[in-house]
Amino acid sequence: MGAFGKNKKEGFEGGGLILFRNVEEAIKAEKVLKAADYMVKLVAPPPLLRKGCDLALEIALVEQTGIERLFREKDVHYVEIIPMKGSGELLEIVKVKDFGEAMMVKAGNMKLTFDKKLGTILNISGGGCPDIPYLHAELIDKKLTCAIRPRENGFTLCALMLDRAFVESLEIWNRMEKP
Amino acid sequence: MMLICGTIPQEDFPLSIGTVKFSGKSLTVGAREILCLQGTAALTGAACVTTEYLGVNPPQALLVGDRGTGKGSRLLYEYLSKNLPPLAPRVLVLHYILPVMGLMKKVCESAQRCHQKPIMIADASSMYAAKAAGLATRFDVFTPDACEMAFLADPDATHPAYMSRHLFDSDITQTPELAAKAYQNRSAARLLLVKGSVDYIVEEGKIIETITEPDIPELEAIGGTGDTITGIVAAFTSAGLELNEAAILAARANRMAGRYARAAPASRIWEIIAQLPAVFREHLCAWRGSCGEMMVATR
Repeated sequence: MGAFGKNKKEGFEGGGLILFRNVEEAIKAEKVLKAADYMVKLVAPPPLLRKGCDLALEIALVEQTGIERLFREKDVHYVEIIPMKGSGELLEIVKVKDFGEAMMVKAGNMKLTFDKKLGTILNISGGGCPDIPYLHAELIDKKLTCAIRPRENGFTLCALMLDRAFVESLEIWNRMEKP
Repeated sequence: MMLICGTIPQEDFPLSIGTVKFSGKSLTVGAREILCLQGTAALTGAACVTTEYLGVNPPQALLVGDRGTGKGSRLLYEYLSKNLPPLAPRVLVLHYILPVMGLMKKVCESAQRCHQKPIMIADASSMYAAKAAGLATRFDVFTPDACEMAFLADPDATHPAYMSRHLFDSDITQTPELAAKAYQNRSAARLLLVKGSVDYIVEEGKIIETITEPDIPELEAIGGTGDTITGIVAAFTSAGLELNEAAILAARANRMAGRYARAAPASRIWEIIAQLPAVFREHLCAWRGSCGEMMVATR
């Protein structure tokens, strides 16, 4: 355990909260996350954000994607993950830019560009979380129809935004008339 | 000394500090080789090429493997929190590091303890952490793109994925309004280089320059083209240029490198970096208004 592992949570400011229906689920989630070396802290949710029990988990909000996947694998139930301040909703909208032979799809801070004739991923840009260079290397030159979704290999909110761009790109590709 | 801090997408890459060498498509730190992809590797590659052209010391890099789990990032935060004062970098660049506000605060406290506070540059997730933790005004340079500019303008957002929808709908032409909001909220560094179809250089709330030529829309699609701008800014700053001139030159050079590389949506970032020496050779004197030597920083 590094110096910033689970025992160094005092003053931890991760910016995210996981809300639970009951205390047992909160305790189980804490145990699962600590075992996976996530930084977590049991806190009382602010009254305005409370949606069940009196316990919530503070997490690094950016790690939402990895935490949600871990919860699915370990059958941990929770109400939702929300930021401690600001908009409580993830950006849903995407923007599209046509380069002629290539199409760029933007979701939040992430952009995915694919070849309109072949359906291969040409480039990934934007973002800034540590999993993005890895996902960049994994996805480049893969066909949209064969590539693994970014949310399956990523850990961060950047990966989640890239996943949205990927899904939208795949839908656009599937709608396109093929040569 | 310029110190670049960030992560590398190899989980087994140990925390390493040392002088970086760039050769074509890869970087070497000590005996380890890193492919020059999007992210801190791209930033470092551009900084290496620029410092080499200028004839100043190459960057030092503090790198660690992290595929997104955050384990490497936490080691990096811990190292910086303890060791920044003895390292005493003149320019400190914080880049792809898992954004954790509490840990970024410790790094900033450590920077404050340096005999002379470093010139602090943040991009990518380090910029997110600095803004979210209310530390933006301790930084000298942020290099956001249009989306990240909207994030800086949102007083409550702690990550661009959770910013207000109406701000995400903004485009690059709304940078003046967004920058004004960011400065008003104390969510901006002293200087912003906002990257987009128009590059805006904003210093303490005032737009001092806009750059539109050459117009290479394909650069937006190429992973790493934002990172290279930050690396060039850091290198020029390390060579002794004022921040505003460093930012203007970096924005121009990055665009021109895109033109020289005949940038296409499928281009790789090393193709852009490879053009920088020719760009500097052919344009730097004209852009600066003279061919006088850079004022080389001594520390």
